[in-house]
Amino acid sequence: MEARRGLGVVLLAALLLGYPFLDRALGFQTVHAVSDGMIYVLLALGLNIVVGYAGLLDLGYAAFFAIGAYAMGLLNSPVLGSPLYGHAWSFWLCIWLAAAVSALLGTLIGAPTLRVRGDYLAIITLGFGEIIPVAIRNLGDITIEVGGWRPIERLNLTGGENGVNPVGRPYLPGVPFETDPMPWYYLILVIGALSLWAMSRLQDSRLGRAWMAIREDETAADCTGVNPITTKLLAFALGASFSGFAGSVYAAKLQAITPGAFEFQVSIMLLCMVVLGGAGTLRGAILGAMLITVFDRVILAETTFFVRWLGRSLGVPLLATADLTLWRWFFFGLGLVLVMLLRPQGLAGRRVRPPREAEAEDAAEPAPAAPPRTETIPPWLRESAARAAAVDGAAPILAVRGLAKRFGGVVALNEVDLVVPRGAIIGLIGPNGAGKTTFFNVVTGLVPPDGGAISFEGRSLVGLRPNAIVERGIARTFQSIRLFAYMTVLENVLVGEHCRLESSVPGAVLRPPAVRAEEARARERARSLLAFVGLGDKGNDLARNLPYGDQRRLEIARALATEPRLLLLDEPTAGMNPRETETLTALIGLVRRELALSVLLIEHDMQVVMTISDRITVLDYGTRIAEGTPGEIQRHPRVIEAYLGTGYQPEPATGGR
Amino acid sequence: MEWWEVLVQQTINGLTRGAVFALIALGYTMVYGIVELINFAHGDVFMLGLFISLAWFTLLGVSSALGPWQLLTLLPLVFLLTMLSTALLNVSIDRVAYRPLRRSSRLAPLITAIGVSFMLENVALLWKGPAPIAYPDVFPSVDILREWFGVDSAIFITTKDILVVGATIPLMIGLHYFVTRTRWGKAMRATAQDRETAQAMGIDVERTILLTFFVGGALAGAAGLIQGLYYNIGMWWMGYQAGLRAFTAAVLGGIGNMPGAALGGLVIGFLSAWSDQYISARWTNAIVFSILILVLVFRPQGLLGDRTPEKV
Repeated sequence: MEARRGLGVVLLAALLLGYPFLDRALGFQTVHAVSDGMIYVLLALGLNIVVGYAGLLDLGYAAFFAIGAYAMGLLNSPVLGSPLYGHAWSFWLCIWLAAAVSALLGTLIGAPTLRVRGDYLAIITLGFGEIIPVAIRNLGDITIEVGGWRPIERLNLTGGENGVNPVGRPYLPGVPFETDPMPWYYLILVIGALSLWAMSRLQDSRLGRAWMAIREDETAADCTGVNPITTKLLAFALGASFSGFAGSVYAAKLQAITPGAFEFQVSIMLLCMVVLGGAGTLRGAILGAMLITVFDRVILAETTFFVRWLGRSLGVPLLATADLTLWRWFFFGLGLVLVMLLRPQGLAGRRVRPPREAEAEDAAEPAPAAPPRTETIPPWLRESAARAAAVDGAAPILAVRGLAKRFGGVVALNEVDLVVPRGAIIGLIGPNGAGKTTFFNVVTGLVPPDGGAISFEGRSLVGLRPNAIVERGIARTFQSIRLFAYMTVLENVLVGEHCRLESSVPGAVLRPPAVRAEEARARERARSLLAFVGLGDKGNDLARNLPYGDQRRLEIARALATEPRLLLLDEPTAGMNPRETETLTALIGLVRRELALSVLLIEHDMQVVMTISDRITVLDYGTRIAEGTPGEIQRHPRVIEAYLGTGYQPEPATGGR
Repeated sequence: MEWWEVLVQQTINGLTRGAVFALIALGYTMVYGIVELINFAHGDVFMLGLFISLAWFTLLGVSSALGPWQLLTLLPLVFLLTMLSTALLNVSIDRVAYRPLRRSSRLAPLITAIGVSFMLENVALLWKGPAPIAYPDVFPSVDILREWFGVDSAIFITTKDILVVGATIPLMIGLHYFVTRTRWGKAMRATAQDRETAQAMGIDVERTILLTFFVGGALAGAAGLIQGLYYNIGMWWMGYQAGLRAFTAAVLGGIGNMPGAALGGLVIGFLSAWSDQYISARWTNAIVFSILILVLVFRPQGLLGDRTPEKV
C-alpha cells in the first residue's frame, strides 16, 4: 500500500516535470493553459486554509487575488509603476511584496471582523470582495480638489476599467520568459510544490490543529486554550498572502489585468473547487481545482462540439446551435448544491463512519473501562502539579465574591460567594436552572459578569477571554460534551496542550530541532494522558465515533492536557451507567489526591457529590442558599426543601475518598 | 434645478427604490428569523419575479399602457399570478436545496443557496439572453404636479411613484396583520423564537417554514413586478445587486425583525439615491457594502433588533 502510493507520487512528479516536452512532441500547445490551471490550484490551496482548515466561509477570496495582481502591476508595470518610481521593480521582489500587501490587507479586514458569527463573516467577505473591484475601477483617475487647490490630479493607481497592460516580466539570465511558456510552467510548478509542502507541514502542526479545533467548535476551542481571534486571523492572513502571491504571478504571466477578472464569480469558482474536492484536505483542494479547470476549459467546449455535431447529424436545430459554455455558471451552481446534498465532505474528503454505526458497535461490546491506577499518572503531569503546589499553599486557589449575572429580567446569579481552597473538591449543586452552569461560564470567561470579583491564585479573572483563563490554569468540561468531533482522539488532547506549546508559522513549516522535540514531547504527553484515562488504544479514532462514556473521559483528558491547577467539571457523570460513574469518581479522586488538583464539580448524582466533595455550595434561583460539608448540607432544611426533597435519605458517610 | 429641488427629487427616488428593497428585505429577514439561513438566492427570486411577471403580461396579451378598467382587473391579477409563481419557486428551492440540510452546520445551506443563486441567474440568462430586456410600459405615467395640479416645478412625481408606494404599503400592512394576528403568524413567531419548543407545542415546524418561504417568495415577486413596471428594464444579473442591497437593509434593520427590514429598506434606498447624486454612482455599491460590513461588525443586532446572546 505504502509502496504503491510512493510509486504514484513518483509517476505524478515525472508526468508534471515532463509534461511540457510531451506537449511539444504531440503539438498540443496547452502549456499556457495548464500553467493557468496550476495558478488556480494554488488559489484553491490558499482558500482551503481559510475554508477547509479554519472553517471560515470566505466569499470574497478573489479580492486578495486582485490585490496581489494589482500590487504587482503598481510596482512593476511600465504604465503604472515606472511613472511613480522612475523604474520598474524586479518581478522577484514584487511577488513577495504582493503577498505581503495581501496579508496586510487580510489582517486589516480580518482583525475587526473575525469575531462575528460564521454566516455574517461570509457576508462581510462578500462585501469586501465587492468593494475591491469597485475601488479598482474607480482609482484609475483620481483628482482631489479642495477649493481650487488640487493636491492630486489625475492620478492613475489602477488603470481603471482598462486595467494594466503590460506588466513587467521576470528576468533570469538566459531564460526566455518573453517568448516561451515553458519557463512559466516550471516557475509555477516550483511555487506550487513548495506551497504544497509548506501546507502539508502546517496542517500537521500546533497551528493546523488549532484551526481545525476552531472549525469544529469555536467555544470549546476557546475554553481549551486556543485564542479564536488570533488563530482565525492567522488563517485569514495566510490565505490572503497565498492569494496575493498567486495574483502577482498571474498578472505577470498574463501580461494584462482587468478588474473584471476578480469578480464575485471567481471567488465562487474557487469555493466550488475547494468544496467539490473536499474542504480541509490538500488532495481535495488540488483535485477540485483540477476537475473544475478541466471542466471549464475542456469539457464544456468539447461537449458543445459534440452536441452540435449530434444536432447536425440528427437534424435537431436546437442542438446544432447549443452552446454549453453559456451554462457554465449553472453547472457550477448545480455542483455546489449537489456536493453539499450528496457528499458534503467532498470527493476526496475523509470518509466518516456514521455515528449510528459506532453506537451499535458500542452496544455489542460494552467498553470495560479499567479503573484508573496511581502508577498510570503521567509523570509530566505530576511534575507540573508539583511546580504549582510549590507556589503558595495556604491561600484559596479560587475566590469568588458577590458574583452577579442577569439575562434580561432573569437573575441567573445573585451575589454568589464561593471559595475553593487549594487541593479541595467543592461540589456545586442545586435544581435545574439554579445558575450552576452560568457560574461556570462566568468563571471561565464565556459570559461577562455584571458584578462581583473572581480571583484565581490572587489575581482577578474578570475581563479575560476564556483562552487566557485556561492559560492561567483553569480547565473545564461541558455539560453537553463538546469535543472536536472530526478530529482524532489524540488530536483532541493535543489541542489541549496548545497553550503550553510555542511553535509559530515558520517553525511549523521548517521544523527546526526545537520544534521537532516539542512536537514529539507533546505527542508523548498526549499518549500517556490517554493511557491514564483508559483511552490508550483509541488515539487514532475520530472523537465522534467514541462511545458516550469514553467521550466524557476524553473531555477530561483534554482538560488535563492544559495543565490546569483548577478543574471545573460540569456534570461529568451525566448519562453514565453506575460502573462508568464509579470509575470516573475514582479518577477525580485520584487526580486530586495525587496531583493536588483543585476541583469544582457540578453534579446531580448525590452519591458522587456527597462521597467526594470536601464542601458543597447549593444554589437556588441564582442565590447561594447553603454552604457546608456534605453532612451539613444533607441536613440543611432549605436544601431539603429546594433540592433534595423531604424523601431524601442521608447516606451514611462512606468515607470513599 | 435648485439645490433643494435636487434633494427632494433624490429623496423621492430613494423612497421608490427603498420600497422595493424593503419588500425583498422582508423575505430575507423572515427566512433568517425562522431557519437562520441567509437565503442567498432570494435576490434572484426577485429578478425572476420581474421576468415571470413579463411572461404573464405577454400571456394575457398586454404590451402597451393599460386602460382604467384593466388597471383595476388585469394588474391585480398579474400581481397575484406573479406572487404565486415566485412563492412556489421559493418553496421548491427550500424543499430541494435547504430542507435536507436543516440539521447540518449553518454554512452548508448557505453554500447551496449560493449554488441555487447561480443556477437561477443562468436560467434567466438563457431564457432572455445576456442583454437587458425591455419591459413594456404597461403602467401609465402621468406627471402629477404639472398635469393634475398645474404646478410648474422641476420636481418630477409620476403616477408610477404612487404605484410603488400604493402597492408596497398594503402588502406590508397585510404582512404585519398576517404575522401578528393570525394563527399561522403566531406559529411563525413561535418557531422563530424556539423551534423545538414550538414543535413540542404541536406546531408543524416544517409547514411553518414552508409558509415562510411562500410568503417571502410572494413579496419578492411583487417587488420584481413593481421594479419592472417602474423602470421598464430587466437584467439577469440584477438579482445579485438588488439582493445584496436588500440583505444590507435587512441587516441594518436587525435581521429577523420585520419592521426593521422595512425601515432598513427605506434607509438604504435613500442613502443609495443620495450617494448617486452627491458622491458618484460608481461608488454607491462600495458605500452600501461598507455600511453592511460596519453594521455586521459593530451593531450586528441592527437598528431595531434585540441583542440575543449565543447559547453556550
